[in-house]
Amino acid sequence: MSGIDLSRISVLVVEDSPFIRSLLVNSIRILGVQSVRSVDDGSEAIEFIKLVEENPMKAGMMSVDIIVCDWEMSPVNGLMLLRWIRRHKDSKDRFKPFVMLTGYSEPKRVHEAREMGVTEFMSKPFSVNSIADKLQSVIFKPRQFVHTNSYFGPDRRRQEIPISGDDRRVYTYDSPEVEIVNV
Amino acid sequence: MSKPGVKVRFYRSKNKLKEKSAGLGLDANAVIEFDEGLLSEAEEALNEMSEEYPDWVMTIIDELFEVHRRCVDDEVGRKGYFERINSIAHDMKGQGGTFGYQLITDFAEGLYNFTAAGAGLSDSHVEIIKAHLDAMRVVIRERIEGDGGDIGAEIKKGLELSVQKFSNKK
Repeated sequence: MSGIDLSRISVLVVEDSPFIRSLLVNSIRILGVQSVRSVDDGSEAIEFIKLVEENPMKAGMMSVDIIVCDWEMSPVNGLMLLRWIRRHKDSKDRFKPFVMLTGYSEPKRVHEAREMGVTEFMSKPFSVNSIADKLQSVIFKPRQFVHTNSYFGPDRRRQEIPISGDDRRVYTYDSPEVEIVNV
Repeated sequence: MSKPGVKVRFYRSKNKLKEKSAGLGLDANAVIEFDEGLLSEAEEALNEMSEEYPDWVMTIIDELFEVHRRCVDDEVGRKGYFERINSIAHDMKGQGGTFGYQLITDFAEGLYNFTAAGAGLSDSHVEIIKAHLDAMRVVIRERIEGDGGDIGAEIKKGLELSVQKFSNKK
């Protein structure tokens, strides 16, 4: 077994509650991440991400490797930020891992974020173990990205399960309509 | 240039984050986990920080009382105040349990559901909001952690009775 060294990973925390923000930032730091920044809401996050891309020295961060973001914020909430990351023309890294932190566990909400391309969900109340689990999953179990006319985001199928009945998939990896791009 | 007629693209990228956190020469089958000592240390730090939670959440409960007072005074603006309460309750329900105050999560969840859009804006609703705030204030003032045992059950029962009483007035 090897230990995880997160000292070179950088995390952006987006959370409007100062108390929760401070807990998240400190917990992530204690887990070994040296470069952690935090902002109040999605619009500040967009500005910061742009600044990191344009002028990392001024931003004080060379890259944003992982975003940990609350859902309920104003004016730009977590889902709107996720949409910007995955779909906006100004977003330079549409593959960026995005962990959505939320008190919402309603299936409709989970579905909504999944369809928008969320990488991981972390429900409130959270523990150090749940933060560690999500970081571990994002770093060591990344999923390929899928782009169709209605979806762009991490593959929603997390594991290959053998098909017991008829194979009803329209396309497989061998179909001419499917392209695999190594980026 | 992409192939014509492509309907699905799979993007596979090199795992740069893994390289950053475990190095290039890592055995593909190696089990990589957080050090148990580090996790305990982090959990302990979270617990220490959590000790400040009651003082912090009391300021939020005070804010809720202030919004409630406005609901009483300003019937016309009630919808907006209910939305504010709903938004604060949403945050609170996700926090209490993290810091050992499960009853805050439970009562905030009740308050959140009760102030959801379309739930009603009557004077009875305003009274039921106050009953939730009173219950929360007792939990924090008395530092009632976890489910609160018998005292917790008593507070819950008291809140249920208040909700029933005012619901019947509708």
